[in-house]
Amino acid sequence: MSVILSLKNIEVTYSEVILVVKGVTLEVQEGSIVTLLGANGAGKTTILKAISGLLVSELGKVTEGSIEFRGIPIQRESPENIVKMGIVHVMEGRPSFDQLTVEENLIVGASSRTNRPTEIKKDLERIYSYFPKLKALRKKISGYISGGEKQMLVVGRGLMAHPKMMLLDEPSLGLAPLIVKEIFEIIEFVNKEAGTSILLVEQNALAALSISSYGYIMENGRIVMDGVAANLKDNEDIREFYLGLSKVGKRKSYRHVKHYRRRKRWLG
Amino acid sequence: MTYFLQYLLIGFLTGGLYSAFAVTVVLVYKATHVASLAHGQILAFGAVFFYWCIAVLQLPISVSFLVALALAGVLGFIIERLTMRPLIGEPLFTSFLMTFAVFMFLDGVFNLYVAGETRFIPPFLPQGNMGIGKLIIAEQRASNFVMTLLPALIVIGFFKYSKVGLRMRATAENHRLAQSAGIRVKNIFSIIWIFSSILAAVAGIGCATIMNIHYPLPYNGLKGLLVALVGGLDSIGGAILAGLLVGVIESLAAGYVDPLTEVGGTSEVVAYVLLLFILLVKPYGLFGLARIERI
Repeated sequence: MSVILSLKNIEVTYSEVILVVKGVTLEVQEGSIVTLLGANGAGKTTILKAISGLLVSELGKVTEGSIEFRGIPIQRESPENIVKMGIVHVMEGRPSFDQLTVEENLIVGASSRTNRPTEIKKDLERIYSYFPKLKALRKKISGYISGGEKQMLVVGRGLMAHPKMMLLDEPSLGLAPLIVKEIFEIIEFVNKEAGTSILLVEQNALAALSISSYGYIMENGRIVMDGVAANLKDNEDIREFYLGLSKVGKRKSYRHVKHYRRRKRWLG
Repeated sequence: MTYFLQYLLIGFLTGGLYSAFAVTVVLVYKATHVASLAHGQILAFGAVFFYWCIAVLQLPISVSFLVALALAGVLGFIIERLTMRPLIGEPLFTSFLMTFAVFMFLDGVFNLYVAGETRFIPPFLPQGNMGIGKLIIAEQRASNFVMTLLPALIVIGFFKYSKVGLRMRATAENHRLAQSAGIRVKNIFSIIWIFSSILAAVAGIGCATIMNIHYPLPYNGLKGLLVALVGGLDSIGGAILAGLLVGVIESLAAGYVDPLTEVGGTSEVVAYVLLLFILLVKPYGLFGLARIERI
């Protein structure tokens, strides 16, 4: 397996003052799912934006290090070109074009690639076979569909571009547990079926680690730990701080709160 | 009753011109979120280009028409490249003020050209009158109505049914999201400016056949902005309806209210009064987009 995406020591600065990401190095293997975990404000979303080039519209900038996609540096490319090269960023909060119908949303997703109606039609059929629910909703204005359906829609829209790599920002945010399960099944399915490599940012650490092969933990703009997903899941610290489980594996209860606080065993 | 219908008809035909021009303003606003004043000048320059071709160079009508539209498109493209593109990412108000600056600059150029004189576009539309029952329609007005509104309708169709149109609508909604979907937003801006300038030129030619080319011509363009505000800045259908509405109301005011006052001229004001009331009741205009928000 080869490396499809590698970040080497990148630093991201907003407005030329605020240093948000401080020397992050990470790699995604071709065809794998990699999870990036971390508390709010750790810089996860910023990393995704740095990869997809969307930082520019927020006055952010990659000031140090390099981002390579299949060996080609991409940190100076425009977002449109990056999509064309095969990286699709599915943003947080599953934004859709609310005034357009579901099908129009999907067609817009193919903008970077093709104009030919036959090809677009073929792609639409493919997406509808992945997400039968969307087919029923195709004529609906996308602003009115439910959160879970919208998540399918934005993932589907991303797939219309035939990405080699997908950046998913908190796909499970604010969804009911059953829907979350469905969404994670979809992510696994997309990874297997379309062979798309996935970089996943999540708060739902347990679910994310169980579908991914490798994981990185971020804190305050730094990667503080990384490892094979299964190992991370067993790591005492991760269990305590990210999975909310105590040593015995039961849910933590305030009745048994320890007198001392467990400290993180890394330098944040 | 006949008078009433006659006023209605005249207003309707004038309203078509307003509609056509309001559509150009709405197009630009929809895509770039900038209410452009510059299009008032593009309107006037479209008429001047047409005048050059048909009266000075003596080209055939259809050729003059196409050349004028093409030149207006180029003008729009240049304005976008030189003044609007560097401001992408800056506050929208800056862009708005820039369109004002462009308006003032081109106004100077326009006035240098007209130099206080009036230039007449040679009549190229049918000149007779036709009657429907007791109503009289000037054929020139009627054909003008069709000539200006038809291109607007074509553009609307393009917006609605073509792939590029779909991308424009997507861009109109969310620039960043459109970028992340692989749309070249800057190219879309250029296309929009070219299209809207062409439409403005058509409206300009329509205006100039009625009121000729002299210094107040660009200010008709400002009325387009007013009409667009009445209809809701981001609704094309609203712009067309509002144009017709404003035309009819002005015509009725001219017919019924003006004779009652000593000086007349109420028709000049009535559109602004209408705007005032509509904005009080519906701040987004008659058909302005209600943002879809699920709670």
